[in-house]
Amino acid sequence: MSFGESLSVSTFTIILIVIAIGLVGAVLAYRRARGLVGRDGVKLHSRPTYHASFVACWGMIPSLLVLAVWLIAAPIVISADVRGNFPEGVLAQSDLTEDLAYGIVESMGSGLRVLPEDERARVTEATPVEDVADLLRNRGIPIASAAADWMVPLAIQLNSMQIWSQWAMTAAVLLVALAGVALAYRRIAPRLRARNNVERIVTGALIAASSIAIMTTVGIVFSMLFETIDFFSRISPAEFFFGTVWEPRFSSAGSTGSAGSFGFIPLLAGTLYIGAVAMIIAVPIGLFAAIYMAEYADNRTRSIVKPLLEVLAGIPTIVYGFFALVTVGPFLRDLSAEISGLVTGNYASFIEAQSVLTAGLVMAIMLIPFVSSLSDDIITSVPQSLRDGSLGLGATRSETIKRVILPAALPGIVSALLLTASRAIGETMIVVLAAGVAANLTLNPFEPMTTITVKIVAQLTGDLEFNSPQTLVAFALGMTLFVITLCLNIYALYIVRKYKEQYE
Amino acid sequence: MMENIQATLYKGPAVEASRPIKMSSKDVTVHYGQKQALNGITLDIPERQVTALIGPSGCGKSTYLRCLNRMNDTIDIARVGGEILLDGEDIYDPDIDVVELRARVGMVFQKPNPFPKSIYENVSYGPKIHGLAHSRQEMDEIVHTSLRKAGLWREVHDRLDEPGTGLSGGQQQRLCIARAIAVSPEVILMDEPCSALDPIATATVEELIDELRENYTIVIVTHSMQQAARVSQLTAMFHLGDLAEVGPTEKMFSNPDDKRTQDYITGRFG
Repeated sequence: MSFGESLSVSTFTIILIVIAIGLVGAVLAYRRARGLVGRDGVKLHSRPTYHASFVACWGMIPSLLVLAVWLIAAPIVISADVRGNFPEGVLAQSDLTEDLAYGIVESMGSGLRVLPEDERARVTEATPVEDVADLLRNRGIPIASAAADWMVPLAIQLNSMQIWSQWAMTAAVLLVALAGVALAYRRIAPRLRARNNVERIVTGALIAASSIAIMTTVGIVFSMLFETIDFFSRISPAEFFFGTVWEPRFSSAGSTGSAGSFGFIPLLAGTLYIGAVAMIIAVPIGLFAAIYMAEYADNRTRSIVKPLLEVLAGIPTIVYGFFALVTVGPFLRDLSAEISGLVTGNYASFIEAQSVLTAGLVMAIMLIPFVSSLSDDIITSVPQSLRDGSLGLGATRSETIKRVILPAALPGIVSALLLTASRAIGETMIVVLAAGVAANLTLNPFEPMTTITVKIVAQLTGDLEFNSPQTLVAFALGMTLFVITLCLNIYALYIVRKYKEQYE
Repeated sequence: MMENIQATLYKGPAVEASRPIKMSSKDVTVHYGQKQALNGITLDIPERQVTALIGPSGCGKSTYLRCLNRMNDTIDIARVGGEILLDGEDIYDPDIDVVELRARVGMVFQKPNPFPKSIYENVSYGPKIHGLAHSRQEMDEIVHTSLRKAGLWREVHDRLDEPGTGLSGGQQQRLCIARAIAVSPEVILMDEPCSALDPIATATVEELIDELRENYTIVIVTHSMQQAARVSQLTAMFHLGDLAEVGPTEKMFSNPDDKRTQDYITGRFG
């Protein structure tokens, strides 16, 4: 029954072979194109390297496309075929049982391929499933206990289809590669516009690369969107967006009516509060550091300070979290105890070790290098002629910076700050360690608060199924965060357009 | 080529020998790091005349010009030696405030460099930082007069709020001149002000320079010998960091003493 020896050519090997075919084609094409030049004053339209690239592209691109399509389509076709042979009883049940049964068939089918020749020969369509499972178990492949006798023939069918598919795919891909090279090679002629063709392919590749980023974003949004809609079908949006209590009880699965409260306001407040504290501290310091580096520091100072700041930007945020937990938090707590001791005589600290202030402060330290490094680049790119013009009129350095350089650099600085703000909003580790996980709603910066990202982590790292509101809320939170950052960016673009001062 | 220069020469106004000296430099040297760019320049600049600095690229004429309002201070590695006097005062004296000096000795650059602000703000920039106007009316007055003197008023009076960077190249350069005039300087330094302009805009700016001579002392660096002949009364020829020759423009272009000047203006080098 089995189709024959399984092919030991992996997809990776196929890709390597295709690339090799393309390279060989390129070398041949190069030599042929070079050979054309000598003959009675013939002039090539494109240089030989373009002919080589042209042939290589024809060899590699169509065949790799065939490979990709085959890899995507084959499992779908095989699955549909095998499922079509399922007994009526299984098909009548839910999708979940069908998926489960197919999973078992699949692992049996691929298990068969691993068995040595003689053992596989013993497996026929009539073999009871226990025997097959035993054979596979000996080879380290566990088979679920729900396996049934009717699955064995299907597993054999699946196995043979997969082997056939692998053979056919290898043959098709290599054939297409060879055909591509051969056709392109035959087209080589002095007037072949190989350069234009290659340039077009390059343009296409660049467009494809940029659309991947866009498509991914769209994909991410949709994957969140469906889960979010699912969540809002269980919890009303009004309760989520306007609720002031965050207390999603992790009730035992199945018991309904005790889902808890999903008020999102405390999280939003915490996110914005901690972010605002961080930005208020980081922006002036970072900006002044940037102005110093760009306008006042001599080259030697700059060449030392700038790399140092960039090293600071490379520290993982969890390390800043330690710093907050071990150093800054206790320091602020003790400091507040001293202060209240001096003022009231009662040494009770009014700043908790985990507080908005601690998180904001440490996050600010993390953000300073971002602000200063980005702003420094932007300020430095303001043309020297503007500085000269202002200084030549008798303006001082600080007047020049305030009235000419900063206005000219403003759009860039705004977008740098917005970039920094999105980092502040998205930051998780510092908040967990420095401000805690308690979803308070308070205006007091000395108390703990928490942010949206922290709660997303908390909701998704539980043991709950993915269909309870307790986990689905994470998607609603993520979606909201996404929308907030999107609005920030759009607003930044608007600001930049409105105040853009052209200096070229 | 030679005939052209000769032809334009005789239209030029004659030098008035009795002009008082506005700025004088004695043995000025400039080093950029290890490299010496000026080897002791001694030159007197007469009041309310146009002095042209000519010479091949890299001869030090722009460097010298930037010494006159201490713009070389902004270059870290530049060191200036010697003595430069403005109305008898040493401008490199530690007691001299460089901001005040630059208000008295303004500068117009090679490439038009209007600020990315409105036309009005470009001109009012200088008066604002020096506190020259005490009311909105006074500021308007300064801006309007400066634009008029720079010959730009007619073209921009109805769009003072539009960005200065939106003007044409020639208009931008006249805006920069208006900006310099607005702080009422005594001396205006111009570093190849027409090199980025087309012939028509150049002619306008040259006419303007000729008019400005009435009230201001002007020092202009130029690569165009015709321009030097057309606008200046005194010409100084620089060569490899030395002052090769200085004299009345008319004489320089008709009967130069120095071989290098002769070679340069007849197009044999440079």
